[in-house]
Amino acid sequence: MKKMMILGLLLSSLLQAGYSQNLKVPSVAFDIKIDKDFGAMQRNCQWCHSFGYILNQGKLSKESWHKIVVKMREVYKAPITKEDEKTTTEYLFKHYGNAKLK
Amino acid sequence: MKRRDFFRLSAIASALVLSSTRSLALTTQPQNNRKVSSVVFPQKKPLITYSDRPPLLETPRSGFTTAITPNNEFFVRWHSPKIPIPRYLSMFSLDVDGEVNTPLVLSLDKLKNEFEAVEVTAVLQCGGNSRSAFKPQTSGIQWGSGAMGCAVFKGVRLKDILAKAGVKEGASWLGLRGDDTPILPSAPSYARELELHEISDDVIVAYEMNAEELPYLNGYPLRLIIPGMYSDSWVKMLSKITVLKEYKKMFYMDTAYRIPANECECETADKLAPKTQPITSMNVKSYIGYPTSHTKIDAQSNVLLKGIAFDNGSGIKEVLISLDKGISWERAELEKELSVYAFRAFSYAFKPMSKGKLTLMAKAVNRRGEEQPFSKDIEWNHGGYKYNGIDSVTITVG
Repeated sequence: MKKMMILGLLLSSLLQAGYSQNLKVPSVAFDIKIDKDFGAMQRNCQWCHSFGYILNQGKLSKESWHKIVVKMREVYKAPITKEDEKTTTEYLFKHYGNAKLK
Repeated sequence: MKRRDFFRLSAIASALVLSSTRSLALTTQPQNNRKVSSVVFPQKKPLITYSDRPPLLETPRSGFTTAITPNNEFFVRWHSPKIPIPRYLSMFSLDVDGEVNTPLVLSLDKLKNEFEAVEVTAVLQCGGNSRSAFKPQTSGIQWGSGAMGCAVFKGVRLKDILAKAGVKEGASWLGLRGDDTPILPSAPSYARELELHEISDDVIVAYEMNAEELPYLNGYPLRLIIPGMYSDSWVKMLSKITVLKEYKKMFYMDTAYRIPANECECETADKLAPKTQPITSMNVKSYIGYPTSHTKIDAQSNVLLKGIAFDNGSGIKEVLISLDKGISWERAELEKELSVYAFRAFSYAFKPMSKGKLTLMAKAVNRRGEEQPFSKDIEWNHGGYKYNGIDSVTITVG
């Protein structure tokens, strides 16, 4: 056991030849709208990206937001239920829509 | 021409306009005035910040006065939320497998010591750079024009690596995968494919950028460098090369980063092009780094406008400056050409005579004679890719 520990220590000191700098990517707080549907956004979107990713898409039509939500499920495998698909699309269009359906 | 003929001709012309897929001129200048963030990312100066996870950082306009973009101002674009930290460098390797005689496991030391080191100075630009110019707005990050930069990359020729592995007869494609990997299972990893015949001597696997090791956020420890091509092909944290017999379908090649496969590379939101192709090669573009719209300039003072221009490797022939909204143009002074793939820095001295607003425009022409169009003449595509409109900066002369 002792031998193993020494070996482990030795190995880790050998392996630490990489970066000595602090590489922690900082967290940024994004000012996203909070309403009754925000829970669906928290449940589904944050697996893979920040809210900044949403805010910086610009204002889009309802159809465009819907396509994005579906792409998140089909391509990126976000576990979005049928119900949340509707809720998140409504939320995105309400706060970040361009008032056009198509 | 007879009057009647004229009318007939114009009727034909308008019918042509109506029947084509071309939209009305709606493209504008891209976003220009975004502020840098107070949150600082590792090895970077404060940059315009769209997202922290994945990190999406843009260089402000003031970063484009020189041919080389400093590493700490260089833009950042990742796809997946979690970037592995290669703390244990000795465990990192670039693996070469597939249709080869000898599969390779290459450590960083091996790459540095057992292959010839070469340098390539080249522009790295996101295909969606300047996307905010397109109307109607397209989905994707609404970049201004700072999702680009130019650096001296040092590394190993991809050809040399393939020669060492020995490509088997009949192989024609390469799969290139980096550690831009997703969190959710079965989501696509970041990968690209290249046809073997596309690989020139200038395609390298780089371990250095501007004489430093690659910054963590720019793809440390290894990045694929493909001069002239948009950066979606420049795989970051490159860890696997697979030689293939034939092309394999994958998301980042077959769905993302594509433009219409027609002559104008254009379509409308109502009528998307039936056929698309990868964005690949860059078009001619220029950008003014100084002055910016924040710059206050005194009337009758001497001003030295500075900027950069580039294309996909034919090189820049000239850069033209207009101070009267594009009616007349004068040649800017070109600095030394670092490489045909690099930013070509330019400058133009002028003296604003009267107070008020003054619009400065820059237009690059490449050695093939291709020149930048006015932004209003740029056609729309669904991904908002490849914008290269004439740059325009309005300053206040006081």
